[in-house]
Amino acid sequence: MNAIDIEDVTKRYGDVQALDGLSLSVERGTTLGVFGTNGAGKTTLFKLLVGLNRPDDGTVRVAGLDPADGPAVRERVRYLPEHAGFPPNLTGREILRFHTRMRSVPAEKRAHHVERILHTIGLAEAADRPVSGYSNGMNRRLGLGTALVGDPSVLVLDEPTAGLDPEGIQAFHDIVESLAAETEVTIVFSSHALSEIEQLCDEAVVVADGRVAMQGPVEVLRRATGDEVTVRLTLADADEAQAATATLRDEASAGSVSRTGPRLEVTCRPDSAYDLLTIVQQRHAVDRFEVREPGLEAAFHEAVGTASTTSGPDASPGDAAGGETA
Amino acid sequence: MNPEERGDGEHPGATAVEPDGGFAAAGATNELRADGGALRLPDWPVLTVAAREYRLAVRSRWALGVVLLFGLFSAAVVQFGATSVGPGRFDAVVATLAELGVYLVPLAALAFGYDTIVGADEQGSLELLLSLPVSQGRVVAGAYLGRAAVLGGAMLLGFVPGALLTVRYLGLGSLGTYVAVVLTAVLMACAVLAVAVLVSTLVAEKAHALGVALALWLWMALLHDLVALGVVATLDAGGTAVAAAVLLNPVDCFRVLALSQVDVVAGGFGAVMAQAGLSVPVVGAALLAWTVAPIALASRAIYRRRL
Repeated sequence: MNAIDIEDVTKRYGDVQALDGLSLSVERGTTLGVFGTNGAGKTTLFKLLVGLNRPDDGTVRVAGLDPADGPAVRERVRYLPEHAGFPPNLTGREILRFHTRMRSVPAEKRAHHVERILHTIGLAEAADRPVSGYSNGMNRRLGLGTALVGDPSVLVLDEPTAGLDPEGIQAFHDIVESLAAETEVTIVFSSHALSEIEQLCDEAVVVADGRVAMQGPVEVLRRATGDEVTVRLTLADADEAQAATATLRDEASAGSVSRTGPRLEVTCRPDSAYDLLTIVQQRHAVDRFEVREPGLEAAFHEAVGTASTTSGPDASPGDAAGGETA
Repeated sequence: MNPEERGDGEHPGATAVEPDGGFAAAGATNELRADGGALRLPDWPVLTVAAREYRLAVRSRWALGVVLLFGLFSAAVVQFGATSVGPGRFDAVVATLAELGVYLVPLAALAFGYDTIVGADEQGSLELLLSLPVSQGRVVAGAYLGRAAVLGGAMLLGFVPGALLTVRYLGLGSLGTYVAVVLTAVLMACAVLAVAVLVSTLVAEKAHALGVALALWLWMALLHDLVALGVVATLDAGGTAVAAAVLLNPVDCFRVLALSQVDVVAGGFGAVMAQAGLSVPVVGAALLAWTVAPIALASRAIYRRRL
């Protein structure tokens, strides 16, 4: 049985079509990354999964149950909203204890359960401080802690690493990897950090305009736009870059070449990257280079229909004026 | 209408992981420590939410403020009323409590309750609460119960100085009536608090809720009587209109119940009540209905709230 089955769901808020015939299936035990532009419908989708929203049309099943039936689904699903907050007068420990009570953790196990979660999320030392004194990152960790209470079947986490410092992000990664390795829990989370999804997820789904624009195993999606790698070069100046562009165009192994100011991007097969780099470095002054393997970023841009590498992600709008693509 | 909306219980269907939902957790208790003491409650989700709300309200020092407010109020009313010269001193105390209470108690209750739901929403804690395995209506009921416990408890404590002064100046025999008036005031506060929670569930923004709460106070404490009086006088309406005017306002219900305790007033007042078909049980039931109905409505309205 799939952990999640969504079929042809629509949801409208006034004039805004939040979901427009979205269908999605997630196998039990899968770690699924959801990404898409802001307003694509990710949060609406997540709220449907926990019954905080009802679809206008279509069906949603989580662990075989209709979330609209209420508490039965929420017994199995844990949800971390994007903007989760806590009453400032309670301590982190009190909040987790409250969740253990609400989630029917046996009374004699609560203290130990809470202690374990506090250590997992790295808040053991701050556990007895009021939440009003917590940083944004600590609040996110506490939110993640509430999602770990009890014995969840499905975790639905809306941008769980937003606002976290690198240490907090690593802690989240460790938690997800540990859950994925040791349990059968299905984890669904959204993130704008595609590298995070590549690192943690078995599957990924691109949501665009309220629909699933692309879904599949991460490995497959990474290769969806081809096997070519992108070599990014920063040369001494724009003239040097223009000369290097001419050099690369003479090389048969180079694919598309684009230039933006002193920066160059050339696509090629992975086994040609080193040779091309060597050729350019022998003839021109290269300040910096980077080889990027095919990744979700390209798949994302292809799915949502936006340009990906013509100007390069680190080019400023002013630079784009001087760019050219071969 | 889905099973949750129908209020079919915590776990509709037979597929819930924990079929008891915490209801049957043998020996499990819910520890309520708000004021240093420990109170053991059954581990029911609605009471767990209530205990959390209670703790929050106590820590926000609202309760202390209410105790001080009503302590000063009751002490001042009894001190000045009971030490005045002339007959019917205690009646004057009760009448003053009733007349001033209609302004103070609703104001405190509305101010205490207007942000119950909308405040949690703006804080970001409502979505987390509603994603817990308890029907959303019960979350509202629990939040109300927690706040009602704080408000009621703080009022009872606040009226203690007045009770002590009543015994001192007027003797133990007056205490029963004083307590009856205070309990009626607490019931009225719970009714108005229920209205505030309904407002808090219906509106989208806290500032909007505050505005509606103030407008309601103005209506219940001041305008309703003026309008009702105008309608009754203009239309030369009879007892039914008077009864409807009283029952349609929880503040008036309190006033009627409180003043019916006063011997000097009760004669003529009792005749008016009887003519209007009002009796203490009827008005008391209306006040109870004002407590239950808004919470029932709020428990349904929460499902339509856009999160």
